Amino acid sequence: MRNTFGVVALALGIFVYVPLGSAQAPGQQEQQSNPQQPLAPPASTPPVQAPPSTPPLPGPAQQTPPTATPTPAPVPAGPIIVLNPAHGGTDSGARGQNGAAEKDLVLRMARGVKAELERQGFRVIMTRNDDSNPSYDDRAAMANAYRDVIFISLHIASTGTVGSVRSYYEQMSLPYAPPADSAATPGKPALPAASGLNSWNEAQRPYMNASHRLADLIQIELAQKFNGSADTSLGAAIRGLRSVAGPAVAIELSSVSGPNPDTLANAAAAPLADAIAEAVNAFRAVTPGGARQ
Amino acid sequence: MTRNWKIFLAALLACVVIGLVSLKGLHRRMARLAKADVTEEEARHEVLAPPVSTPTDVSAKASIFWAGGPDSLAPVQIELPLSADAQERSRQLLQALIADPPTPDQRTLPADTEVLGFYILPDGTAIADFSDALSNETPSGILSERMAVNSIARTLESNVPGLRRLKILVHGQEVDTLAGNVDLTGFFDLNQAVPQPMSPALSVAPTSLPSATAPKAPTANTPPAKH
Repeated sequence: MRNTFGVVALALGIFVYVPLGSAQAPGQQEQQSNPQQPLAPPASTPPVQAPPSTPPLPGPAQQTPPTATPTPAPVPAGPIIVLNPAHGGTDSGARGQNGAAEKDLVLRMARGVKAELERQGFRVIMTRNDDSNPSYDDRAAMANAYRDVIFISLHIASTGTVGSVRSYYEQMSLPYAPPADSAATPGKPALPAASGLNSWNEAQRPYMNASHRLADLIQIELAQKFNGSADTSLGAAIRGLRSVAGPAVAIELSSVSGPNPDTLANAAAAPLADAIAEAVNAFRAVTPGGARQ
Repeated sequence: MTRNWKIFLAALLACVVIGLVSLKGLHRRMARLAKADVTEEEARHEVLAPPVSTPTDVSAKASIFWAGGPDSLAPVQIELPLSADAQERSRQLLQALIADPPTPDQRTLPADTEVLGFYILPDGTAIADFSDALSNETPSGILSERMAVNSIARTLESNVPGLRRLKILVHGQEVDTLAGNVDLTGFFDLNQAVPQPMSPALSVAPTSLPSATAPKAPTANTPPAKH
């Protein structure tokens, strides 16, 4: 008899408890059953009047009505820095004796540099963030899509003093003028008429001075941060820079032939980012707003 | 000590002596084989690219640009039989550049590289055609590729007057890059005073060589400007 009473009391307790529990969170249950239906605010909280132009939104977004407009994250001023981890995919780049591949090391290094630059307030994009190999032109196109851009290509060499870093700028020849007495081009003008347009293959030409200046500024910083690094940048015909319409520099760390290139590349990211940041700031101070010759 | 023991010890002693004698010979042979690695490479190069000789060859001093450090070139004066014909002379110089670096560390081009052809157009454009080894065996990297191209350009520039620009082909074809970085789709300036963009960041010239021995290349470490 006592047992029967206990069972009945338990059953009654469950019966009473369930409706009470569900009544405490009606919106939640409605949301689960019909997420498309607009939710009514809880009776205990005063209704927040939505702006007249804004219709009530369905779904869980209205469950916690906004009490204040979220402040947008501050957009840092200054140029977009496009980081280009060289090579990728089937193009391994330089290979160390222990199997280290330049494509992997530069990708890790670029991620570290990006994080550090963003921490310092720069806007950074990368031409690749996985083991893909965009073409030279695709990489240049990513940079050329922005108006105010600085292109930094990251490399690791096969040779050179281990731990040293060198920056390079694109060096193109003067437009070719055949000699006047050349029998090959009799009567032809020395140079084509200027059209005012730059060919894609020579998009870097108007920015060569700026790139040289930026490379020198970066190299000054690198020389202070990486032992054995030279004081000056070098010019070279670098395939990955020639189509970039903006200041463009290649930075190469030596080398995959070192005893531990993984550690070297990982450790290089932070000082490399600092060098780039300081050089870019100095560059912007002397070249405000534009870099064309 | 029994007689058998004496015989055994004598035989053992004889074995040790024979071993010592043969060890010395073995050591000599290993040294010869180690040296043969280099000579094999040279021998292969000699077979594939025999020295160019022409009736007009005269022994003359030439400045060949090999590596002078980890990231620089330095001219080395060597005596070479050189043709009066600019085309043949250029081939001879490039073969010397490939085959005769003073030390392995000074090598800028792979030892297996062959000069397949060299042509000079009337306007002073030089076209150098190398075998696949140039692009396959040059270590990938801006530093090493730049040194390879510069050593070719500077050597030609210093010893063959009249050349104005250089085109590098690999096995008769234009290639995108030498080994992934340095652009070979254009031309490299030769014997042209390429104005270096002045950098306000530095008052010194961006590149310079300790060029006490550089005969006619004041910007010996400056890469040939590329079109």
